[in-house]
Order: sequence, then structure tokens, then C-alpha cells
Amino acid sequence: MAASGLQRRKLEVLVDEVENLPTLPGVGHHLLSLLGDDRPSRRDLQLVVEADAALSARAVRLALQAGRPAEAVTSIDDVFDSVPLGALVADLLSIETLDPETAADLALARLWRHTLACGMAAQVIANRLGTVAPSAALLAGILHDIGQIALATALPRAYSQVLEHAQAAGLDLLAAERTMLGIDHAVLGKRLARRWGFSETLQNAIWLHHQSQIPAERTAAATLIQVVRLADLVVRQEGFGYQPSEQIHDRAAEVAERLGLSSASAHQVGRQVVTAFDLNAQPIGMDRTPALEEMWSAAAEARGRLGRLFRAESRHAAQAEAQARRADLLMSLNSRLAACRSIQDVLSTVAANAREALAVSAVAPYLLSRDGDYVEGVLCPPQGGGEHFIHGLKKGEGVEALSAEPAPTAAGTPVRAERLEAWLFERHGARLGSGPFYTISMTAGDARVGGVVFSLRPGSGELSAQQAGELAALASVAAVALKRVQAEADLLALSEELAEVNRQLQAAEHDRLQRRNVASLGEMAAGAAHEINNPLAIISGRAQQLAAEEKTPARQEMLKSIIQQAARISDIIADLRLFARPPAPQPEEVDPAALARQVAEEFLTGPQAADSPRIRLEAAEAAPKVRIDPAQVGGALREVVRNALEACSNGRGANVTIAVRSVAAQGAVRLIVTDDGPGMDPQVRARAFDPFFCGRDAGRHRGMGLPKAYQAVLASGGQMTLESDAGRGTTVRMTFPAAGPQT
Amino acid sequence: MKDVYSTGEAAKICRVSQQTIIRCFDAGKLQGFYVPGSRFRRVPRDALVKFMKENSIPLSNLDSGKKKVLVVDDEAEIVEMLVDSLQRDGRFEVKTASCGYDAGILTQQFRPDVIVLDYMLRDINADVVCKTVRGNPALEDTRIIVISGMVEEDKVQGLYDLGVHAFMRKPFQIDELISKIVELLHI
Repeated sequence: MAASGLQRRKLEVLVDEVENLPTLPGVGHHLLSLLGDDRPSRRDLQLVVEADAALSARAVRLALQAGRPAEAVTSIDDVFDSVPLGALVADLLSIETLDPETAADLALARLWRHTLACGMAAQVIANRLGTVAPSAALLAGILHDIGQIALATALPRAYSQVLEHAQAAGLDLLAAERTMLGIDHAVLGKRLARRWGFSETLQNAIWLHHQSQIPAERTAAATLIQVVRLADLVVRQEGFGYQPSEQIHDRAAEVAERLGLSSASAHQVGRQVVTAFDLNAQPIGMDRTPALEEMWSAAAEARGRLGRLFRAESRHAAQAEAQARRADLLMSLNSRLAACRSIQDVLSTVAANAREALAVSAVAPYLLSRDGDYVEGVLCPPQGGGEHFIHGLKKGEGVEALSAEPAPTAAGTPVRAERLEAWLFERHGARLGSGPFYTISMTAGDARVGGVVFSLRPGSGELSAQQAGELAALASVAAVALKRVQAEADLLALSEELAEVNRQLQAAEHDRLQRRNVASLGEMAAGAAHEINNPLAIISGRAQQLAAEEKTPARQEMLKSIIQQAARISDIIADLRLFARPPAPQPEEVDPAALARQVAEEFLTGPQAADSPRIRLEAAEAAPKVRIDPAQVGGALREVVRNALEACSNGRGANVTIAVRSVAAQGAVRLIVTDDGPGMDPQVRARAFDPFFCGRDAGRHRGMGLPKAYQAVLASGGQMTLESDAGRGTTVRMTFPAAGPQT
Repeated sequence: MKDVYSTGEAAKICRVSQQTIIRCFDAGKLQGFYVPGSRFRRVPRDALVKFMKENSIPLSNLDSGKKKVLVVDDEAEIVEMLVDSLQRDGRFEVKTASCGYDAGILTQQFRPDVIVLDYMLRDINADVVCKTVRGNPALEDTRIIVISGMVEEDKVQGLYDLGVHAFMRKPFQIDELISKIVELLHI
């Protein structure tokens, strides 16, 4: 009647499908009665689970499924520490109990008693040894025969034959199992333990607890196997074996010796277990078979409890879903807001997000200015689209009241908007569609940043708590984004301000350098005047002497040229000196219009008047008098006009305008010379006031006209600016302070 | 060059008083004649030279007949050039100095009719020279022309105020300078 390989394989497959081990009806009943309580005590539950092999196995699996590493789950204490009691309760509520008849047929109560006794013995031995955790020894002892429980409960008929065969043949149960089933419960138990993910130590304790030749390792894992083996032997000697008439070979003394215990001490362990056994077994119902009615009522109670648990879990799941949705919404909003660089961007994004993700119809997020004097917002009417708006707020308008009374909105819950946001309905009421409208405050820190006004889509009923929560989250994220954009704008304004200050500093520095350059130019020109004019005087003088005696006209011309060029050099130096050190002005009160008229007249009646571009004088308004040196400023004006005329020459421009304007705001008068000539490119414009710089292709002048004019205007207390663009002509402005009242 | 001198002119040339000349004229030590129909004494040039030689009076003060020009400039080439032109003209007797100190001494000795003075000299400036000349009543008739390469427009007036008669900027037209001298000396 030996088992075939096929049989063995079938058995393996069958056992592989075992997900849970059933428990004894009495234990199941006791457990369910504990779980019927809404708040079962951990201690009571742990006592049942610890003492029952099926429940212990189930609890360890639960802890492993919750993600605890196998080596960290060595005791039921570990399970109760790592799995929430609620989860444990929910799982234990679905415990299966054995059919009382099967249990009785197979005398399974004996098997359960054996496992509990073994666990208790292992715990006592561990206590004595001190090298193995007693709670780990208890668990290993309790679980050591799970293979046998699995066989007996999954194949009750086949297993009863095994029992009969063992009884009849006087065989060791393991041998009978191997003969009849092709596999013994130790191997099957290890298989189950591995499939359920138990620790290597537990797997080995289950697998090797019958082996006499166990590697004599000094590790805690090896010791635990020995402890379980000794416990198994000891309790069988004390009558806690599964088979009523099993042959007991007294190997306990041998095993105890290996562990460093005396045989007497092993015997004491057995006695201890006998004494304490009922204290552990009875309270959990191990010895009792409850009546069917009792089982029914416990099962019904458990079903009710399961139902309640399920409902509670569903609620939790719904809340979790809402939270997840809110988190998704916030994350997508956040990432979109992060890309926003302006207030308008933020408001548009908030509006779009509210419309897409939340069931709103019209929506109008707005920013309240820091001083509370205006609102800036984006209005999205029900039909879509968006419109940016900015409104000044009158004193006492809705928003002001809202920001003054933080109570109803500061918590971020939406409230009815019609009264609070009256400013919005006054201005946009028609476009907002039909209500009801709600408003939710946007706050960052303690400060109110703005708000979101919205209406729900028609037919969506009242505002739900979930919507309210989502909108509140949206408002708080939007508030932070608005604050950020505002801070960025502030920073930008600050940096622009800094840049302007910097520019002014640069201009001042440029001015200082310019003045220093001009001063050193003056020094140089003074030295040059002396050093150069002397040799020039000699060159010119000698040439004059030669010319006086020269009879040949050609040679006379040459000499004349030498004389002229010497004079020219001298003139250049004189100009330079005049530029660098203009003569002190002789200021007097001058009518600027008269001065402009006089200069214009000179050009209009001068020798080249006919060829000149048209000169127009605009001095109609009565400009106040200015206190200037008329000769110097007149000369400057003349230079500027001459420059303009030259720019317009050869048909490059047609008009030169000399205008006299009063700049009342600055208490100043401005002489403006404008031409429509070719203008200057930026490089030329930047150097227009530099001495000897001539922007024209062929300069008839030495490039000293504008520089001298500039210095002359400055000397008379004025300012001179030049504005020009290539192709757009040039405008020169000379501004002088108006003369004060006559003293 | 003068051919006939009055007693006053002869006294000036000989650096003696007019009375002394009249006494010598009347004593027959100095030859001469009366202007017909008057009491005015006149001494021909030859007679004056003979008188000066007999009495060991230096001839240096004897009018060469030319206007005396003192050229003062620290630039030797300019001095040389001006001397060339003035001598070539023939109407001038020219002496030169290259600094303010020399100019002072020569003004005392040479008694120039005109000083052509560079503004900026090695030791002192032209305005100091001007002040010294104008401070001496004996040099009342001495004309001063300042030439300069560097005097600024607004300082020229200051020179005129010091008694400068003319200002010319370097480089100048030599013809113009000579015209100016001629004009100042009413030649």
C-alpha cells in the first residue's frame, strides 16, 4: 500500500492550496465571542492566538503580509506589536473552525493539546537555557506540527487511514505517513512554512523536530530546533502525544544533554507543563465542543461584526479616495502654478483648474491689493473664457468688510458670496450667470491675499463637504502662489530700482570722469599752447620772410600754405583751450526767444542762406527770461544750428527748427534745435560731445563745435542733451533755469 | 638820421644840462648857428660829434636816426627771426634779451622806443616787466607790445590795464608786427 510518486505529487498540490488552517470548534467559539466585543482586549486575544497552532500560523502570516521581514516575526508578541489590532480582529473574524465530527473522528483535540504542550515546554526550556527567547520558543513549539494539522484537516479520510495503519502496523506516525501518503508531516510542514514566508529558523524547527542527528551548531537557530525537539519528546512522555498508544523512545535525556540540561531537569519541564496545561487550555475552549446553537450565534455575531467593520472600512476608503483626489488636484495645480510668472497667470490657472477639476460653473479668483484699495482678478463666466479685471475699491465695499472680518472665511470654508463680494456682483453680476454663489478666502500666513468666488454647475445641488474641502485646498495653494508671484514682482521692482540707481551712479561716474578728462585736457592744451605756438611762430615767421623775397609765384604759394597751416594748428589749440577752460561767463538776463530769433536771423540772412535747408523758428509763447552769458550761449546755439544745417545739407534733410519752450514744471526754459537729417547711430551719438570727434564723412570743422557748445551751456548753468536715431534726425535740447524775480 | 640838433637834444645826447650846452655854444666850444630870424640855437651833427670827441663824451647816445627796438624772448630762434626782419626793414636799431633780468638792464641802458616782449619768460612774466617799465617816469614814452602763444583772451585786458600798448598772438604776421611798431611810434 505504498504511495506512488503521483499520489505524493497530488498531495503536495493539495497542501499547496491550503491557505488557512482551521481551529478547534471550542477555540473558534471562544475567539468569536471575544471578537464580538467592539473593543476586544489585546491580552485576551493574544492568549488565544498564542495557544492555538492554527491561529498562531494565521497571525504570523498576517504580520508577514503587512510587510514585516520574516526574521523579525519570531513570536506572537511581534505580531501584535506590528499589526494594528483592528486588522488582526478583521482577519481573525474569518477564522474557520473544524467540523466537530471530523475533529472527534480524528481526535484532533489531542493534536492541539500536543502542540500547546510542546509550545509550553519549549518556553520553559528556553527560560532555563537563557540563550533562546522564550516567546520564540513558544511559537516554534506551537507551530512545529502545522504539517500534521494541514494533512489531518485537508485530507481527513486519508489521514484517518494513516492513523489506522500506524496503529495496526505499530509504526511511527512519520513512517506511516511516508508509506501511505509518500510524504511526512515534517516535510509538508516545512513546505507550508516556506510558502507562507516564515523565517528560516521557524521552517527548520518545523522540519527537523524529529531528527536525531541535528547539526550541533551553537547558533540560536540550531538551539531553537533542539529546544523544540526536546519539548516534543518531553510532552509525549507526559502523555501529550497525538497517538494514544505511541511508542516512546526515551531520547529526551540525550537531547537535554546536548542542550546542557540534565535529564532530571527535562523531567521537571514535563511536570511543569502537566501542572500548567489546563490553565492555558481551558480558558480558550480547547477542551470543549460547543453546541451547534452556540456556534451559530457566535458565527452570526461575527458576521455582524464583519459587516460593521466592512462599512467602516468603506467609509475610510471613500475618505482616502477623496483625499487622494484632493492631493492629485493640488499636485497638478501646484505644478501648473509653479510655472506662473505673473498675477494674471496665477489667477487664470486657478480659474481653469477650478473649472476642470471641480464642479464649478462661474469662477472668479481675485487678488486683494496689499493696501486693500483695489482688486485684480480673472472672471470666467459659466460659458467659458476668461477676462482679466482690475477695480478700485470704494471705502466700505465688500472686500474691505471681508478682510476686516476674518471670522467667517479665515478658516477656508466657502460662504455665500452675494453680500460679502458685493463689488463683484455690482460690476459683473450679469456675466456671472445664476447662483447660488460662494466665496472662499485665500490666505497666506495671517494675511488675506484674495478670494475665489464661484457658483456650482446647475443640477449639482448644494455644495458638498468634499467640494468645499477641495476648494479650500485650491484656495490655499493659490494664495501661496499669489504671494510668491507678488514677492517675485517686488523683487523685480527692487532690482529695477537698483539698476536705475546703478545707472545713475554710472552716469555720475561717467560725468566725473568726463570732467576730469576735460580738466586734464585743459592742462594739456595750456602746455601745448606754449610749446607748440613758439615753433609755429618760427615756422610761420621764417616762411613769411622767405615769401617776402620770393619772386616765383608758385613758391610764394607754397610758403603761403605753410603760413596758413601753422595758423590752423594754432587755431586748433585755441579751440581746445576754449573747450577745456571756457572763459568765465558774463551772465545777464536774456530773453531766450530774442536770442533764438537773432541766431535764426543770422542764418537766414547769411551768405549761404539760399542753399540752406528751411530754418523755422517756434518761439511764440512768452518764455521767461534766463540768466546766461548771451555771447557764449548764442555761440553755442549757433554751433548747434550750424551742425543741424550741415546734417541736412546735400538734400539729406529739409528742415531745421529752433524752438523756445517754457518747461513750467521744472521752472526752466528750453532751446530745442531739431533737424530731419540722417541722424546719428548710437556710437556717433555717444561721442557727439567729445572734442575732435566728427561723425561726418568729411568734416569741415575740427569736431569742436558741439563740445564747445556743451561746455558753454554748462558754464551758463544749463544742461544740454542730444537725442538722435539713424534715419530719424537729431534733437538737441539746451535747458536753462528760468531767472528768478528781479532783485 | 638827424642832421641838426636843438640844444635840448644835444644836452640829452651828451647827458648834460641844456644850460651847459648853451654855455659851450656861446663860448664857441660847440659850433653851431642861430635859426635865421630867431634866437634858437642849432648844432649840426658833425659839430656835435667833434664836441663830444673833444670832451670824451661816449658817442653811444648819439642818435643813429633809427628807432630803438628791444626784442625780449627766451626762444632764440624767434629773437633771431625778428632781428632779421627788423634790421632788414632799415628803420630800426635792435637789441635783444632772453630773460626779464637782461630786459631790465637793457631798458635802462638802451632806452628802447619799443619793447617787443614775450609773455612767458624764463624768470619772470611780461606783466612784471611791464610794471617795472611803467613805474619808471623816464621810460614814459616807451611802447610795449606783448607777443604770446598762450595768454587767454580774458587776460589780455589785464595786460592793457598794466600799460601794454598792443598784444599779438603767436604765430603772428611779421608785417603786422612792424606795422604796429610804426603805428605806435608815429614814424
